[in-house]
Amino acid sequence: MTYDDYLDGKPAIITAALTGGVHGKEAHPDLPETPEEIASAAAACEAAGASVLHLHARRDNGERAFSAERFQEVADAVREATDDAVLQHSTGGTAAPDALRHEPLRTDPAPEMASLDMGPLNRYDRLTSENTRELVASLHAEMRERGIKPELEVFNDGHLNESLAVLDEFEDPPYLNFLFGGGTTSPPHPRNLLNRVEALPESVEFNVIGFGPHQLPMTTQSLLLGGHVRVGLEDNRYYERGELATNEQLVARAARISEELGRPVATPAETRELLGLRGR
Amino acid sequence: MAETCPHLAYREEGDGKSFETARAFCTVTGSFVQPMRADVCNARYGLDPATDCEFYVEPESIEDESDATDADR
Ligand code: SF4
Repeated sequence: MTYDDYLDGKPAIITAALTGGVHGKEAHPDLPETPEEIASAAAACEAAGASVLHLHARRDNGERAFSAERFQEVADAVREATDDAVLQHSTGGTAAPDALRHEPLRTDPAPEMASLDMGPLNRYDRLTSENTRELVASLHAEMRERGIKPELEVFNDGHLNESLAVLDEFEDPPYLNFLFGGGTTSPPHPRNLLNRVEALPESVEFNVIGFGPHQLPMTTQSLLLGGHVRVGLEDNRYYERGELATNEQLVARAARISEELGRPVATPAETRELLGLRGR
Repeated sequence: MAETCPHLAYREEGDGKSFETARAFCTVTGSFVQPMRADVCNARYGLDPATDCEFYVEPESIEDESDATDADR
């Protein structure tokens, strides 16, 4: 993944993070929470150019759900509403016990992809998502067993160290996701993304998330460096300052920028080929 | 084993918002809480409102305050 990939017009994968697990309708009245709402947002995002749908599950009252049953409901509804998009289940979950963190991997069929947080990060003032090495390894083992492609979530440079140290355990191409924002996430600055990309072996594919107002510049920079992008209400609620966005709008904007920059938006089939996925 | 926060209420209205399904509402902050924080409010997964929430206040101190206010009236 290099600037040459940009020059060569390599297709760009757009992932839509529709829901997340942190905020809900108290923060954005149209943030999708029910399986039906998530499915409808997923269909709109697929039509707008997203080939990967990053999924979380919620209870009826909007609170986080980790059970395979609830993920099954969400995944079934999304499969029904979409044509060919890749489903990626989140295994993230602050404070949730390790056993629960495995549950999103246990739907039938298994998701083609799942997120894998590579280390600890702080939440609010007194909470930490621990993500011990032991948990990371056991989640990865189950993903391997079930043919699920992990997306390595690199929230900061420490997580990059952790990822590089175990890169040979991951099937080619390893897929790293760089997150930029506040707190224990990497400071959102173009030079930090550049440093990251320079530290990567060429075989690695990378994706970029910028939280909040950093979504637009960081994803644009990723496109210039041959990377892929994730957008959506999980990471950013606003289209521009003071104007709430929809998932679809954020995907459509990323697709427009990608095309303008000469990177065609990857279809689901191209995404499967680029990432070595097993198919829907 | 920690117990559900005494400041937690489930409400369909409040904070200028309304919901069809009652959602976690914090009576200390007077606002609906984010879904992830609701795990703290409900003392799920070993979380304890008294130690894991920065908004938590001892219920007694609230009562003391209201008693004092009443006494002054
Ligand atoms: S845990 Fe904190 S946020 Fe939740 S109800 Fe109690 S004081 Fe409010």
